[in-house]
Amino acid sequence: MARPGATLRISPVGLRGIVGHGLTATHVLDFAAAFATFMERPGRVVIGRDPRVSSVMMREGVTGALLAAGHEVIDLGIVPTPVIQHAIRQLEAAGGVSIGASHNSAEWNALKFFTRGGSYLSSSQSEELLDIYHLRKFRFAGHDGTGRRKEEAGAIEAYLDALAAEFPLEKLRRFRVLVDCTNGTSGLILRRMTERFGLQLILINEALEGRAFVHEPSTTKKMAELQLAPLVRTVGADAGFLFDIDSDRVTFATEQGEAASEELVQVVIADEMLERGCGRMVLTNLSSTALLEEVAARHGGQVVRLPVGRQAVTDALAGYSMEQVAVAGEGTGAVMMPQFPYVYDGIAAMLRMLERMERRGRTLSELIADYPAYSILKGKIPVRTRFVPELFDELEQRWPEARANRRDGLRLDWEDRWVHVRVSQTEPVIRVICEQRGGTPRRLFDAVMDLVRSYSE
Amino acid sequence: MSRAHQLKISVAGVRGVVGEFLTPNLACAFAQAFGTYLGPGPVVVARDTRASGEMFVHAVSCGLLAAGCEVIRIGIVPTPTAQIYVADIRAAGGIAVTASHNPPEYNALKLFNSDGLFFNRYERAELLDLYHQSEFRHAANEEMRRVVIDAETAPERHMARILRQVDVDRIRRRRFRVALDGVNGAGSRMSVRFLRDVLGCELHAIHVDPAKPFPRDPEPRAEVLGELSELVTRVRAHAGFAQDPDGDRLAVAGETGRVLDNDDVLALAVDCALRKKKGPVVVNLTTSSVIDDIAARHGCPVYRTPVGEANVVERMRRVQAVIGGEGANGGIIFPEVHYCRDSYLGMALLLERMAETGETLNALAAALPRYWRRSGKFPFEHGRLGQMMQALEAALPCARADRTDGLKLMLEHGWVHVRASNTEPLVRVSAEAKTREEADRLYELAASLR
Repeated sequence: MARPGATLRISPVGLRGIVGHGLTATHVLDFAAAFATFMERPGRVVIGRDPRVSSVMMREGVTGALLAAGHEVIDLGIVPTPVIQHAIRQLEAAGGVSIGASHNSAEWNALKFFTRGGSYLSSSQSEELLDIYHLRKFRFAGHDGTGRRKEEAGAIEAYLDALAAEFPLEKLRRFRVLVDCTNGTSGLILRRMTERFGLQLILINEALEGRAFVHEPSTTKKMAELQLAPLVRTVGADAGFLFDIDSDRVTFATEQGEAASEELVQVVIADEMLERGCGRMVLTNLSSTALLEEVAARHGGQVVRLPVGRQAVTDALAGYSMEQVAVAGEGTGAVMMPQFPYVYDGIAAMLRMLERMERRGRTLSELIADYPAYSILKGKIPVRTRFVPELFDELEQRWPEARANRRDGLRLDWEDRWVHVRVSQTEPVIRVICEQRGGTPRRLFDAVMDLVRSYSE
Repeated sequence: MSRAHQLKISVAGVRGVVGEFLTPNLACAFAQAFGTYLGPGPVVVARDTRASGEMFVHAVSCGLLAAGCEVIRIGIVPTPTAQIYVADIRAAGGIAVTASHNPPEYNALKLFNSDGLFFNRYERAELLDLYHQSEFRHAANEEMRRVVIDAETAPERHMARILRQVDVDRIRRRRFRVALDGVNGAGSRMSVRFLRDVLGCELHAIHVDPAKPFPRDPEPRAEVLGELSELVTRVRAHAGFAQDPDGDRLAVAGETGRVLDNDDVLALAVDCALRKKKGPVVVNLTTSSVIDDIAARHGCPVYRTPVGEANVVERMRRVQAVIGGEGANGGIIFPEVHYCRDSYLGMALLLERMAETGETLNALAAALPRYWRRSGKFPFEHGRLGQMMQALEAALPCARADRTDGLKLMLEHGWVHVRASNTEPLVRVSAEAKTREEADRLYELAASLR
């Protein structure tokens, strides 16, 4: 685990840090050169960025390193991450890089890497990339082998074509939808959707911002409560959605002005896909709501619980055919569907939810009322890494009656509640997620938090 | 090729063989050191036509942005054009991605201060320390600036400055027939526009496609300019011009296709300049004595400096020179335009003189005092140059010695100069005299002592 206050994280997931204060141009060049070396043969590489000012610096470094290795760089400009992944597939590129820090605040930035087909790197690929980075033996082309860069402006329209092929956009025009774009990339797509397909989207915080976002770009229920829910009632919308900066995550509020738990994005989509018979498997992580099991059971589906992180899902998906999988995702509002081959895509998730409303002829609040109440509490505490194993042992001993799962930190399961305690991959903290059916697990959550806190400094 | 030659990070900047040695990572870090040194402010980035240039422009931009600078990209332009642009827009500094006359496998970063001048040696040493210490400024997101693209105005700014110095109408009226070898370099487009559209010449141009590789050795020496000579005779041109890839060096062919000696070209330019305005002339130690003779005709003093554009410019500014240059390198520096080697200014001055006098280039050159010159280069070996200098001085006891750059020994009717190259692991030997025999004797004496 990183030091408390760490500002740089180089891991198999990629490169992430606070620009100028941890994350430097040198890291960008080295990591991009490692990726350029990792993609053995010179080929086509698609890049795109979010609106952060530092993303321009990162783009220049990434472009330089890719060209130096002889790759052809196709720059999409400012686009959502799922559009980059779509373009990789569509342009038959060898890979891609997304520049942007997604749900982190403006001072952060990150690089995400994709391989052929727009897929996330598997664990073994990520490990190899990291090895190349550490070895710093980059493979560059000679003077007559360096690549060329070109700009591609058509990626957004091609992505919209794909959305139009998958979703009944004509029918979705009857909904009035409020969207908080958080000054991120979703606005670009959604604005075009209103123009091209006549969707009634009311966009707020649509302007791209490079230096500061109007609010933290996190897709949590709390953010939806503060920023989104009150406005949904005011404008009389049928639904409200809130995106992070690179549009891979989304959360929502109902027409009643109720902010929903971000956990429900995956639940509603799983419900829809299972009901339609599109696959049986629901892949999710150990920290996501147990409501998934309940919903899956209604349709004879099956939930596969994985360690937290994109990596574990990516690796697991490799073992299933597309027809088997209904949905894969996490409770944070990041959901992927086989129809959009395994890309976390907030826009597609939003459309799927609207499609369910349309198909069932019910309001969003009615759809959600179908589900028994689950209450989830989430907390985080900085802790000394050294004693993490002891912490897990003590937690397990304290509740010997619970079923223990050690695949990712420690998860303890009871009949109607569970708690998951794990070390974060992105922040120097221990996360505690606790959920109960039909009530708030306040006592359990507090007890676990107290115990974890006793290990902090 | 020696190891040291493949990558050189020195007070002259960064230069190396692209790929294995000169990497985008290194260029980025060096640019960040440079941006740190300049402080926040606009920094101009230009490049020549080398294929690797595009890649380096991005790497350099990354480093500059990371240091908090604004980046102004002006595309593929000659080095003097970039320098003038920096001065014109009052930028904080500039970087030209070019290895000048070096072969295509090389690339390099040329660095300019806010006046569009090469850094002086103290600034360069400071920058190098910054780079080695890796004490870079790291801008945070809210401090970062953007990239501005201006692919249009730089050549116009440069040409406008030249046109203020010459009588354009006089040149245009003559409708000179001119041959050009642009080496597919950074000046390719601008040279065509300058000679054909601005100076009204009937232009016969070869190798003016910036998308193509260099068709010849990029250093414009007589031995590699056969195609230009042939073109001059075929179209019966009044003059032939050849540039290097970044448009600072100029070679000139007379109406018979013969490539003039670079020292004589500089002498003609000095004559033109001093006819316009009297004042000091600055050249490097290896430049021909013909400059002294021409300056003497105008009653003007000549100052000599170590080899290197930065050295010549530094002295020119100190003595308020009217013109300067480096003979053998084909570089003409005319401060009224800018303190930089400028092939465009050279072309304009010569055409103006031809228009004014009605003389051919060969006739103008023939009127210059005649000197015989010989020069050559030998591999540099550590520790050998000092012994060579000692032996040479002992062999010519009556000579007056100048030790500011290697050793130059001056005799009654000639001189010999030995020095280590600034850019390559070579010892350069030059000799000049009033007679061919004396020039040969001095050259061979020095060569025999190495």
